[in-house]
This record gives sequence, C-alpha cells and structure tokens, in this order.
Amino acid sequence: MRLLYFDHAATTPVDPAVLAAMRPYLREEFGNPSARYPLGVRAEDALDRARARVARVVGARAEDVTFTSGGTEANNLAVLGAARAAGAGRVLVGATEHPSVREPALALAREGFEVHEVPLAAGGAFDPGAFERLLDADTVLVAQMLANNEVGTLYPVRELARRVRRLAPRAHVHVDAVQALGKVELSLGELGADSSSLSAHKVGGPKGAGALVTRAGVELVPLFFGGGQEAGRRSGTENVAGIVGLGEAARLAEERLPACRSTLAALHAAFLAGVAAIDGVAPLQAGGPGAPTVHSISSLCVEGAPAEVWLHHLEARGVCASAGSACRSRKGEVSPAFAALGLTADEARRVLRFSFGCTTTAEELALALEALASVAAELSGVRS
Amino acid sequence: MSSPVALLPPELILVRYGELALKKKNRPMFERALVRNIHEATRAVSPVEIERRSGRLAVVPERRAAEVARRVQDVFGIKSLSPAWGAPSEPDEIVALARAVLDDALRDVPAGRCVTFRVRTSRADKSFPMTSTELDRYVADRILPGPERVKVQLEGPELELGIDVRAERTYVFSKRLRGLGGLPVGTLGRVLCLLSGGIDSPVAAWMAMKRGCRVAFVTYHSYPFLGERSKKKVIDLVRVLTRFQPSARLFVVPFTDVQTTIRDAAPEAYRTVLYRRMMQRIASAIGARYDYQALVTGESMGQVASQTLENMTCIGAAADLPVLRPLVAFDKEETIEIARRIGTFEVSKRPEPDCCTVFQPKKPVVRGKLETCLAVESEIDVGGLVEAAVRGVEILDLTPE
Repeated sequence: MRLLYFDHAATTPVDPAVLAAMRPYLREEFGNPSARYPLGVRAEDALDRARARVARVVGARAEDVTFTSGGTEANNLAVLGAARAAGAGRVLVGATEHPSVREPALALAREGFEVHEVPLAAGGAFDPGAFERLLDADTVLVAQMLANNEVGTLYPVRELARRVRRLAPRAHVHVDAVQALGKVELSLGELGADSSSLSAHKVGGPKGAGALVTRAGVELVPLFFGGGQEAGRRSGTENVAGIVGLGEAARLAEERLPACRSTLAALHAAFLAGVAAIDGVAPLQAGGPGAPTVHSISSLCVEGAPAEVWLHHLEARGVCASAGSACRSRKGEVSPAFAALGLTADEARRVLRFSFGCTTTAEELALALEALASVAAELSGVRS
Repeated sequence: MSSPVALLPPELILVRYGELALKKKNRPMFERALVRNIHEATRAVSPVEIERRSGRLAVVPERRAAEVARRVQDVFGIKSLSPAWGAPSEPDEIVALARAVLDDALRDVPAGRCVTFRVRTSRADKSFPMTSTELDRYVADRILPGPERVKVQLEGPELELGIDVRAERTYVFSKRLRGLGGLPVGTLGRVLCLLSGGIDSPVAAWMAMKRGCRVAFVTYHSYPFLGERSKKKVIDLVRVLTRFQPSARLFVVPFTDVQTTIRDAAPEAYRTVLYRRMMQRIASAIGARYDYQALVTGESMGQVASQTLENMTCIGAAADLPVLRPLVAFDKEETIEIARRIGTFEVSKRPEPDCCTVFQPKKPVVRGKLETCLAVESEIDVGGLVEAAVRGVEILDLTPE
C-alpha cells in the first residue's frame, strides 16, 4: 500500500540534500567544534556556515543564532530566559500557544511572574484589543505564535509588536515561527520581534535540531550551564550533524520558498474543493472570518464517529493525517488551544488535520481525497 | 571502626521457599519449576548456578548479583531471600567476614540509634569444630561494636546475622528480603486472561500467576475503529507482567465484525453485555484449540454499572471454560494498590480507547436478562463469528525487552 503522508506539520522526512550535507559530520568529520586541531576547526566552520544560513533566512546576524535541540527548547529558552533576565513583571502569552510556550509561562507564574493568557475574540479571531488591555509598563514578555499549528491561522504579529513597543517598551516579544518556516517570508526586523524559534524537522531537516534567533543585544538567562558553548547561551557539545542539517534545510526552505508557496496554495485550493464534494466533512473555520492561513495546514470537522476513528480508517487506506491533541484524551478535556478557538469538547474530538509539504504532489492529494470520500461513505451514520 | 574485609558483591543468594515445602508428594515437581523459573527470570542479567539444599536454594550468579537478587524477588513461590557473602570455613575467617557484613548492615542505621541484634548459625557440616551456639557466641564476642550501637536480643531482634556453615565455605548474610509467596508459575495449569488495557485485568492475571498458573492473554482489537496504540498498550501491559512470568503469549482477536454485527442487531443498551458474551465464547474457543484450562477476568462485583450480578451471570453463561475472577471482591483501591506495586498501573492509565468504547451505548443495561441476550443471538451467526475471530487471531509471543 502506498504511503500518503499528510502530517507534515508533525514532522517531515529528511531531504536527500540535507542528509548528504549531514553525513560527513557523523563519520569522518566527527570533531568536537571546541577542539584546537583541524578536525575540530572544520566542525566549527560547519557550525558557522549553518549559523549564517539560518541567520539569512530570518534576517538576523549570525552571532544572534543560538542552536538548540529543537523548537521546544528554543521556546523554553526564549520564554524562561527573557523573563528571568528581566527579573519580575508581567508575562502575556497568546491563547493558542504551543505547550512549549505555554508550559514555561506557567512555570514563570510559579516563580512569581504575573502571567496572563490573552483570549481570542468570539469565533477564534485574533484580538489586538485584548493584548492592549493587558500591556503595561511592567510587561517583560509577550509570546505570540506566527502560524497556528492546529488550524494554520497566521496571526498579525507585526501589528502586535508595534503595540507592544508603544505600551510596554521593556517587553521582549517572542514569536514561535516553527510552523511558518518555509511557508512564509520570515524577518525578525520586519516582524518587530526580539526572538523567534525554528525547528529543522518540520522542513526536511533532522529531529533534534532547532534554533532561537534573537535581535542584537537581547539578554537571556540560559537554561543549561556548562562549557559555555553558543556564547554561553546553550552549553553542551554542539549537535554538529544536526545543526548542519538545520542549516541546509533552512537554506533550501528559503531557496524554494516561492515555488513552495505556489505548490501549497494549489494543494490547499484543491483540497478545499475536494472536501466540498464530500458529505460529512467540512473545513474548520477557526481563525475568524477572512483570517489568513498558511496553506500547509487544513483542518476539517468530521461528523459521526470521532476523528480518532476517521484517522484509523484513513490509515487503513495508507493516509497519515492527525487528529489534534484533543483526541488523545478519553476524558473529554479540550486542548487549551482548541478551547481558545471556541471549540466544545465534542467539536474538538472531531477535528482532523491534514498538513502538506512542498514535496506533496497533486496526485497524492487526489488519492487522499479519494480515501477520505470512501471513509466518509463508510462512516456515514456510524455513531461513536 | 575499620573493617578488615571490604565487601564485594554478594557471592550467592539464599532462597527460602514457603508453601512449597509443605507439598510433600509434589515437592520435587515444585522445586524443579522454581529452579527453572529462577533461571528464566535471571537469564537476561547473568547466568546463574542453582544448588538445591535442604529446604533452600542457593543461587550463584556469575555477575551483577544485586540485579540478580532483584529479579529473583519477582519469582513466585519464594518466601524470602538473602544475598550472602562467603569465606573459607575457618572460625577467624568467618569472624572477619561477619564483621564486614555487620558493618555494612549498620550503615543503613542512622547514627546514634541502637539496634537489637543476634547471630544465628546453622551447620550443614557437622564436622565443624564448634556447635552452632558456640559459633554464635564466638562470632558475637568478636564483632560487636559497642552497647551504644548494638544490643544483643535473642528473641525477635531487628538485625539478625545469619551464618550458614558448609564443608568448604561458610556464608554470612544480614538481609532477609521478602519474596512474593505463592507457587511457582506453571505448577498449577494453563489459563487464558482476557486483557482490556484497563487497571483490573493485569492485576487478575498477576494473581493467577501467583497461584501457580501459567497465564496467556487474549485481547480484542477492533481495527480500524481502534488504532495501533490501543494494541500497543495491551502489548506493553503483557511485557510488564513478563517480570513475573518471563514469557507470555498474547492472542489478538479481530473483533470489528462482532461489534458491527451486534451494533446492527441488538438494542443499544445490550451492546456491552453482548460484546462480552462474544469475548467469553471466543476465549473459550481459543482455550479449546490451544489447550487452556480456564479463563481469568478482572471482573469485580458492582465495580461498574455493567458488573452487576445479573450482567456477570449473562456474561459468564457464554463461557465454555470455567471463569476465574480473582478480583471479584476487591475494592478499586485494593486493585490499584497492587497495580502500582507490580508496575501495570502506569500503562493502564494511558488514555487509549479500547473495544468497549467502540459503539458504546449511552445507557448500558444494568440488569441484563439472559433471554434477551439469547433472542438477539438467535438472529446472528454466533458460530460463524466465533470461528472467523479464532481463524483471524494474531499470536504474539512476548518476552521482557
């Protein structure tokens, strides 16, 4: 059975060019970048090249790129590091933030910070007013993702950052851009952000590599202490092969962005058109009317059986999709992000997410739609 | 106080068996099973030699003695065990070793606290120049650290130093670790446990193992209404239980056709009872085909709405094999306590759906009537469904990772 992979927002296969770039650093070029002989210096060179590539993709300086073990660590470093550097104050996090932003923010609350989750407007629309009401001179951190990982909504981070500068000049603005890399143009300066997190494995890179990119002069208290690697921001011998993979994946994402964008837009349109012809599934309108989205993520609301059951029926036809975090729970708790989007527990259990990559083909999409139609027919009338 | 002998890892593990010793006529059979089970349980850690001594076993590991002792503790049929150190059977060698073992044991006692203590010798080698009582005193006189630390008390002391005198070597021990009791797995028969992924059934299986049953497992999988993770959860539960029975067979029964048939034929409220009747039938058929003598379930009276006497009667009536229900009178807390102790609780509480959640009725019948069950079943091809399920079974032989 042919594998039809529609879960690119979860992870992607390593691009052959990325693998080729990484391979030498696992074997013959295995040196520790801190070592003083040529083998070590070459490893350090490889890090420098990767750093420059990542910096270019987000319009930052190479020295402001801190390599991490992935998006989760980058988000933790930004949230905990920036707030702890400020010492005390108010912390605002968006309502739909990834757990790797949300949970460290909750940890800050236990450390005495005043942490607020900023609600969305009715219908799941982004509400700049809600931020305005909470921003004050004591605000030290604002975290808002760029592209939503569950429904793909693109949030107006640039406008938000402007408001933050005006109302809370001390605040550090952190933007989780993990789902946006390779899908939209990224520029830290353009966004007005102080830091942004990236992950390699969402764009054809390896798992276990990511980066936090910061604006010049940003202060962060590190999470890890030790040998002082990454300018003291992230101690620990660098994951050289993984970082080389991240650099190459980022370079490719940048190079392929225009083509990838039109591929994704076409896939997105074809997907919605296909879905419109299938009974029992409907696109999930969760970002508010007319909100822009990344074309790589499309969520559906399914009828009848819960999304989990749809997933296994799809998987039996070779299709890998995702049911969102809410469906992992039997007790019917809604994931905080879904709750913020205004979904009830029952609706949250009926969300099916398809996510595309630049390597997804129109033929694969047609086969997936065929499978979806056949599952819809089989499950019509089935109650949980 | 300096000790002349630095304690190396224990040389052997003395294993005492309780109930076994009572089973006069069958005793050799039980002993053989126990020896075999200890070999199996320790195989992954170290090869061991096992010597049979009167009423005890001496397990001699090649390496990693502490880990071997921990594994032996998980073997059913053992009353207690003691890691022991050895020395040549010479009085002064024994004293030196006894002092080291005592020092080691006292390290676990907070400074400033005085413990009650005695020495107890047993002599298999009667040619040893002292009697047991003489050696007790000889050793005690020479190793006691002082009254502020240790006080001799012959009845029920907190710390007992055991000395086991043999012809060549003498063994000294201070710890007496409790075994799980019960009977060696495999001495009582072969049973088949219905495993759902919940908290109860793994505990029921453990209790059947404890009483000497070799347990195999059957689980019902309704793909694609359930996914791989539901199946993996059950596999992981069986793997946890292989701590107590080093290999176990799991039958994974395709159950989708049974569930859709019942969904379409039965009053909604009766679905759960009817699923369970089919489970009993299929398990009985597997039992007949693969030679199991009884079924084991995690049912407990009144624990959930479906476990009324009426429903349990309806369900049990469908089994052709005797049904053992080790938890029948357990409170949930009692079951959870065991589940935590044996390590299944963490796996059981993973929030994965199981086949009972597929087409789950909103209001399951509380007092099911057998006539209603029989009436529905007369409308469907029960025999054909059972046969197809048994034919489609997937067999997994699981061992610890």
